[in-house]
Amino acid sequence: MAKPKVASDWLAGCAGCHMSLLDIDERIAKLVQLVDLRATPITDLKEPDESGVTVGILEGGINNSYNEEVAKKMRSRCQILVALGDCAVFGGVPAMRNFFTIEESLKRAYIETPSTDGSGKIPSSPELAVPTRVRAIHEVVKVDVFIPGCPPDADIIFFALSELAQGRIPKLENQNLMWN
Amino acid sequence: MVNLTIDGKTIEVKEGTTVLNAARANGVEIPTLCDHPQLTPYGGCRLCLVEVEGARTLQPSCTLPVNNNMVVHTDSEKVREARKFVLTMIFSERNHFCPYCQVSGGDCELQNAAYDEGMTHWPLQPNWKPFPVDASHPYIIMEHNRCILCRRCVRACGELVGNFTLGFEERGADSALVADLGLPLGESSCIGCGTCVQICPTGALIDRWSAYQGKETDVEITKTICQGCSVGCGIEVLTRDNRLVRIEGDWDAEINGGVLCDVGRFEPKTDERERVLTPMLRKDGALKAATWEDALAVISSKMKSSNGKAAAIASTRLSLEAMDAFNQVCRAAGIQSVFSSEESLPTAAAWKIAEKVGKPFESKLDALKQADCYLLIGEDLTKDHQVLSFFMKRNLPAGASLIHVGSADSGFKNYANVILPVAAGKEAEFLGDLKTLLNGGDSKATAAKYGLNEEYLAESVKLMKSAAKPAIVLGSRYDYKQPVETCQAALDIANAMKAIFISSKGGANSLAAAQMGMDDAIDLTGAEMVILAAADDKFSQTFMKKFEKVPFLVVFSSYVSPLTASADVVLPVRNWLEQDGHFVNLEGRLLSAKAALEAPQDVLSTFEALEKLAAGMNVKLASTWKDALKTTSAVMVD
Repeated sequence: MAKPKVASDWLAGCAGCHMSLLDIDERIAKLVQLVDLRATPITDLKEPDESGVTVGILEGGINNSYNEEVAKKMRSRCQILVALGDCAVFGGVPAMRNFFTIEESLKRAYIETPSTDGSGKIPSSPELAVPTRVRAIHEVVKVDVFIPGCPPDADIIFFALSELAQGRIPKLENQNLMWN
Repeated sequence: MVNLTIDGKTIEVKEGTTVLNAARANGVEIPTLCDHPQLTPYGGCRLCLVEVEGARTLQPSCTLPVNNNMVVHTDSEKVREARKFVLTMIFSERNHFCPYCQVSGGDCELQNAAYDEGMTHWPLQPNWKPFPVDASHPYIIMEHNRCILCRRCVRACGELVGNFTLGFEERGADSALVADLGLPLGESSCIGCGTCVQICPTGALIDRWSAYQGKETDVEITKTICQGCSVGCGIEVLTRDNRLVRIEGDWDAEINGGVLCDVGRFEPKTDERERVLTPMLRKDGALKAATWEDALAVISSKMKSSNGKAAAIASTRLSLEAMDAFNQVCRAAGIQSVFSSEESLPTAAAWKIAEKVGKPFESKLDALKQADCYLLIGEDLTKDHQVLSFFMKRNLPAGASLIHVGSADSGFKNYANVILPVAAGKEAEFLGDLKTLLNGGDSKATAAKYGLNEEYLAESVKLMKSAAKPAIVLGSRYDYKQPVETCQAALDIANAMKAIFISSKGGANSLAAAQMGMDDAIDLTGAEMVILAAADDKFSQTFMKKFEKVPFLVVFSSYVSPLTASADVVLPVRNWLEQDGHFVNLEGRLLSAKAALEAPQDVLSTFEALEKLAAGMNVKLASTWKDALKTTSAVMVD
């Protein structure tokens, strides 16, 4: 049997969940024996194979039109979609801005911060993604496996990935279920 | 008795038991949020829904009384689905993002409930409506965004503390916790007891002094007693890495049943006094660090040379062991005048009567909790011995009445039926006249005599006469002109009415101080030397003034104060959280305190310091306090 293909990407998150994935340390050697690691933000290949992958992993919530596109592409190219970390599962820290309007958030970020030089300017270009309300992945595309945590513990990630690598859907409970 | 079946188990419980309690008593766990063992059932959160055979819908087990032959399922598919749905709805209502919440990771009952149901995500996302955060209170932060509207805090504020500050405004999703009629919490009638913080299942009410400092899962918990006053409330001290994180009321404690006042809960955390860390001796006019040996040698030689022309004063916060040792060391050195820091004034009066009467006349606190009419004399219990005022105030909505013979600006002014402002010094006489009025007399003349409103006085008499379980509470106050007479007059009323009688006494161990004979007014005339075992007590300016002209002052103290600054010898001692010991509370109950923190190096407990002093003076200490209590403590309280 061919090894299951795994691809990942990060959206509105902090990359912390991918760092936590790397915290599985030498167990990553075991993991690559079981899976074929394809596109990730920290490897050369940047997009999941057009021919599709078995498992797609997304970190971070969806906060603009670009993230939405990436999520939809990943969904269309994977069989099992995993939402990794609190931002992907719930919206997480970026979702705090949902308590304000997008205009207020942009003004705060680009004009009002103490570190802003000069008058500050909200970037606007047709090439830039359009900001939206921050959404959990499952608000935009169907999610099959949720791994909450900020970030999820390396042991929990290893448990979930090794279950997936062996063709099982991981069931998080007891010590493995942590929202932080 | 009623028979019912829960999850296939046939059980027998008392009629009137709720399904929830019946299940729990028989080892079946049903998750809850708005329910709390100390509060009346409310049925607000719906997490405890169960399936009852024959019932049209799922039923909240916390408010459902058992019925004969009832068949209940607590773990059916339908119930589990309903639980998840209830949690989903609660999570979708406000901001329940766990990573940036103080109670996340063990302390949050909402999070724990979600874990128990195996929820990996929220099927419905929040509606993103921001609510305000009220940080106007010195101790408490009200975070409406974390509130699940369970009303535990509202019930605790009313049912347990009797303060009725908290309530709810608006309807539906706009419902919000509110203090008084919409005041910021810090400007409201809140007394800062923190019971609401302790009972909140989520992070909606948090204590600003301990927030984000530790979780239930990584703190150490020591069960001990509060030493703030003579009530002796049971507390849990949460510490981490030898640092005080938080103090909570012990829900299982018989005396207080979980409630605490701000003195017990928050003051220790906000205490910013500087510690005394090493023994100090005055040399050439200035205090210099010294060794224990040198400091103790100076004290013992001075004690010998003063030939009994010395006085000794012990704080009423000293443990029985320390108080006993202090007494023995001082008396062995010929010091006849051993006082307590309170001069035992409030306690001594009752104690003197106890010695005369020879039989118990005070009641236990349980009787106070059951009474239906309170005549409070003197002390404003909303400011001192506050937990006693909780016991009284919580009974008022059920029809209990409260008459305060105190000043017009009494803290009870929003709660009492009547306030009778009798001039200081007139209390004893007034109580005598009140006793006459109870047997039928002219309230008009009595009212005129004390400048009271006649109608109010007549109302007081009526309330007292119609009470089934009246209670006379004599507060400790230091300015009674005739403490013994006042106490006797109050006791006479209690006897005439067959009412219970309780006096609030003073500090943690003031009853013991009186029992050990330290009950005279402090007199330092002619004393060449004064030894003050101050422990961690905070003294008034008037008290400290007494020591200004003392030729040679020795102070055992945990903290730097004007007293240590003017002392000739200062010995560093542990504070209340750092030592074991025993205390006798106002009802004569022997309580044991446990150390929750380790003391700084070179800082001894007052008892250890006295042991060293005794050894240096060749005084053999005997543990006499147990015998002393056996013969005395039963005398006062029944």
